[in-house]
Parts: sequence; structure tokens; C-alpha cells
Amino acid sequence: MELDELKSKWAEHDRKLDESIRLNRQLLRETYTRKAKFALWRLATMLALGSMGMLVVIVWLGHFVAINWLMPRFTVPAAVLDLAAIAALAALNAQIALALKIDYNQPVAVIQKKLETLRRFRVRYSQTILLTSALAWAPMFIVVMKGFLGADVYRLFGIAWIAANVAFGLAVLAIGFWLARKYRERMSRRFLRDIAGYNLNAASGFLATLAEFEKD
Amino acid sequence: MTTSERQERFQALVEEHKKILYKVCHSYCRNPADRDDLAQEILFQLWRSFHVFDERLRFSTWMYRIALNIAISFYRRESVRTRHVLSGADERLLEAIDETSNQPEEVQLLYQWIGELDPLNKALVLLYLDGNSYQEIANVLGISETNVATKVSRLKQTLRHEAGVKYGTR
Repeated sequence: MELDELKSKWAEHDRKLDESIRLNRQLLRETYTRKAKFALWRLATMLALGSMGMLVVIVWLGHFVAINWLMPRFTVPAAVLDLAAIAALAALNAQIALALKIDYNQPVAVIQKKLETLRRFRVRYSQTILLTSALAWAPMFIVVMKGFLGADVYRLFGIAWIAANVAFGLAVLAIGFWLARKYRERMSRRFLRDIAGYNLNAASGFLATLAEFEKD
Repeated sequence: MTTSERQERFQALVEEHKKILYKVCHSYCRNPADRDDLAQEILFQLWRSFHVFDERLRFSTWMYRIALNIAISFYRRESVRTRHVLSGADERLLEAIDETSNQPEEVQLLYQWIGELDPLNKALVLLYLDGNSYQEIANVLGISETNVATKVSRLKQTLRHEAGVKYGTR
């Protein structure tokens, strides 16, 4: 079986297709008015909403630091959280910029590389957010209790209680990672597959395939 | 050009090149519902990008670029299997009359072989079979002409080898 022999069969098939396929004009017309079904726009919108939420958090934490300036036991955790939120905002905006730069008019290798880079970025972002939230739980609790209820967690529960909570958070995180890796083949939700590193491996693997494909 | 003129122009061009849509969808999806979903996604993206289409260029080359980019992303999206079909299951964007019985055995085998290739080589084979020059293929895929020639030659060898193994025709 030769590819060039099959090419002539393919040409024959191509000629027959003209008569045998019909385009549904009604559905084609619906394309003109279809909106927000485009995955990248949906992603950019979601990221933009996340970005706005993060901005509110940054401003609120900045305000919290300003009014509690003389009490380092509150300002230090708030400042750490603020820095983490600023980093998350920067990462979200970088993802938006990457998503909006994708123009399907460009050649396949160029676009697929951009898409996989975005995918890898998103997976790393999800993993970092999860890791940070487990570690940030204690400072968040301290800041939120003080900011919304005026309560001092150090006095109410003591340092040992806070340390135990951080340790518990880390243990939950470790078990979570272990479970996610163990059952990653059975996972269907994208977020879980992101945590398990399954999607990261897939994205990195495809980037390597693309690099190989581009080689002469 | 007014919106309705643009729509008419787009419709005429898509009608003229509907075979590209059919072949790309058949090469990247086995499930008919996914195929239709992919066809709609491609058409949507074509329409969204139509305002930047340069009429001096070949519509087929431009259509191939977009269709293959969307198809590869669609193919790689893990949630494909659980996606909902955009239109009703009984209403298809591309309707084929007597789809499989119309295809000679060689064409069915070819679709099967293409189906087994990785998404990038699928694109290359489709473009080659459709009679595009190495320059056009390189232009759509974003690789050099020499690279296209090397890959086509490798694919020919693979096909020859596989045919030899399966049917003893080496």
C-alpha cells in the first residue's frame, strides 16, 4: 500500500464528497450570532473575574496593614498574604495576555505551542494556589478574624493551636497530593488532574512533540 | 462590505470548501456527535476571523490553518468525551448521504490509518492527500519545506511497512 496510490483514491473520494455532503444552512446561520462559546474567551473572562476579585483582596489587605501598622503580629501575616495576592494577580494577568494573544490564523506549530504554554502555566498556577492556600490558612484566619470581628486569634486560641492548624493543613495537603497521584487516571475533573500533575505532564509532553515536529 | 454581504460571501466560500471541514472532522473525531461539535467550533472560529482574511490568499489554506488548529486543540482537550453537543443530536451541521457505504475500502482504511497518527502528523497527511504543495503545507503548519518533505517520506515508509505487516505486501 503506497501513499501516492492512496492519494488518487483520496482525490476520487474528494470528488464524491461534493455530491454526498450537505451543509446545514440553518446551523451555519446560527454561527453568526453565537457568542461566548469560544473556550479561550470563556477562559479569559473567568481569569478577568478572578483578577478583579484578587484586586479587591489586595486593596483590603493594604488597608488592613495601614490601620494595624503598629501591631506586627497582624501586619506581618497580612503583608505576606498581600504579596501572595499580588503575585496571583500578576499570574492571572499573564494568563489573560497569553489567552488573548492566541490567533488561530497563525500556523499550526506556532498556535499549538502558545496553547500548550498557556496550559502549562494554568496547571502550575492551580498547583501553586492549592499549596499556598494550605499554608496561608493560618495567616488568613488571623487577618480575617481581626479585620471582620476585631478578634485576636493569638489570645483566643494561642500559638500552639495556630501551629497545630498549620501542621494539619500540611498533612491534608500531603494526603491530597498522594491521593491525586494515586488515582489520577480515574480523575475526570480538570482541577484534580492539574493537582496530580497529569495535565502538566501532558502539556510538557506535547511541547516536546511539537519541538520534535519542528526539527528538520 | 456590509454584514449581510460578508455573511453571504462567507457562506459561499464555506459551501465551496465544505469538504475540508468534513475531512478534518472525520480525521480527528470518531464519534459523530463530537464531529459535529468540532465542525461547529471550526465554523465559529472561521467566522470570527473572517474579517482578517486576506482575499488575495487562497481560502483553502486559511481554512486549513484554522480548522487544523481548532481540531488539534479539540482532540487534545481531555473533556471531549464528556462534552455536550451544541445542536440537537438529530440535526447535523454536515450531513453525509450514505456516509460509509459511499467510501471505498481504501478510503476507509486511510481514515483509519490517519486516525491512528498523532495530531500533528494527521494534519500533515491530510494536507498532503489533498494535493497541497510542500510550500503550502509548510505555510499551514509553520515548519520548513525540507521538514515537510522529510516527514512525508517517513510517513510513506511507515505506511509501506504497516501494509507489509498487515497484508504481507512488502
